[in-house]
Amino acid sequence: MEVLVHLFIPRHTNNHRSKVLHVDALLVYILVFAVFNLALRSLHRSMPDVLGYATDIHVEQLLAGTNAKRQASGLAPLTLNSLLSQAAAAKAQDMLTKNYWAHNSPTGATPWDFISGAGYKYVVAGENLAKNFSTSQVVVDAWMASPSHRDNLLKSSYKEVGYAVVNGVLGGEETTLVVQMFGASTSSLALAPPVAKPPVLTENALTIQKANPSVAVAGNAGTMQQTTNKQGIAGAFEGVTIRPLVNIPTLTRNIVFVFAGVLLGVLLVDAWVVRRRRVVRVAGHNLAHFLFLSAIIVAASMVGRGSLL
Amino acid sequence: MKRVHILHYLVLGAILIGGIATFIYVQSNTSIQFIVGIATAAAYVCWGLIHHALAGDLHEKIVVEYILIGAIAIVLLATVLGV
Repeated sequence: MEVLVHLFIPRHTNNHRSKVLHVDALLVYILVFAVFNLALRSLHRSMPDVLGYATDIHVEQLLAGTNAKRQASGLAPLTLNSLLSQAAAAKAQDMLTKNYWAHNSPTGATPWDFISGAGYKYVVAGENLAKNFSTSQVVVDAWMASPSHRDNLLKSSYKEVGYAVVNGVLGGEETTLVVQMFGASTSSLALAPPVAKPPVLTENALTIQKANPSVAVAGNAGTMQQTTNKQGIAGAFEGVTIRPLVNIPTLTRNIVFVFAGVLLGVLLVDAWVVRRRRVVRVAGHNLAHFLFLSAIIVAASMVGRGSLL
Repeated sequence: MKRVHILHYLVLGAILIGGIATFIYVQSNTSIQFIVGIATAAAYVCWGLIHHALAGDLHEKIVVEYILIGAIAIVLLATVLGV
């Protein structure tokens, strides 16, 4: 009991500052978290089945999610095209082989090079990329939350879509890549039903013109052009399901939130006791620390691991 | 609380709200989120030092304390972001 009081309540034995708020204790927390992070990465690399990132992303779910958003906006649903899926698979493979996270490869290959390479002759095309999301719905929601990706998802001129979902190592870390290739070919345009609503164009979206066919890349822009049709998904790129014994995001969040909760609690108790006893001491303002750490926890609670491009 | 302290805390509130808003704005890129976190922590340390300097009670121990609190925030964000 005496030890607990010494640790958490300011009094003469701890120089009127809770021991867990002393400078040496703060330094220990930093070192412990730094070691924990390094150990986590090391264990994840050596035992990914035990300690990893739970992932459940599949093409059919991505397609359903995308089409649900389009239909909610009064747009025609996209049909899955095997050539676009092949292009997406080639792009995903290229990113993992050449270790890059970009619309254009380090050797200068553009998204439409992959689309043309797969034999899809498009009049309009686009690409959305995502990595490290946990579920298909989260990917679609993230795309919808990003204006440029949303523009691609809700572009009325797109008639077909292809996907690749693949797991690999990118930039030294295990990564689940999602490549979404949009397109419309002359044949798909001829077959398409009338669109219920005109396309919503923003400054990030490219206007589609028959005389000047274009490719829209989320967050980027380019021009090019070119048809074909066939349904399907590129074999090994249909989806990724990973169910590790311990899910790293859940583990880290729980540890961080419990630690922060205790620290915030101690800051409040320390401030209250010192104020009540009218102790004069040399220390930072607990209220300021409390507000700052609370803001950091609010930010941390909104963290998702995924990135878009 | 003195009127000048209220002003200081309003500035702190603006720093923190700005930091959170920027953090949300760049939510599709965890690396940039981490940089925003570092910038917010740096701004907090600066705020603390300026606040205590103006109050006339800036002590070496306080400088270290603010730097360590900022560093704790950074390692917590690094842990959650996985960077």
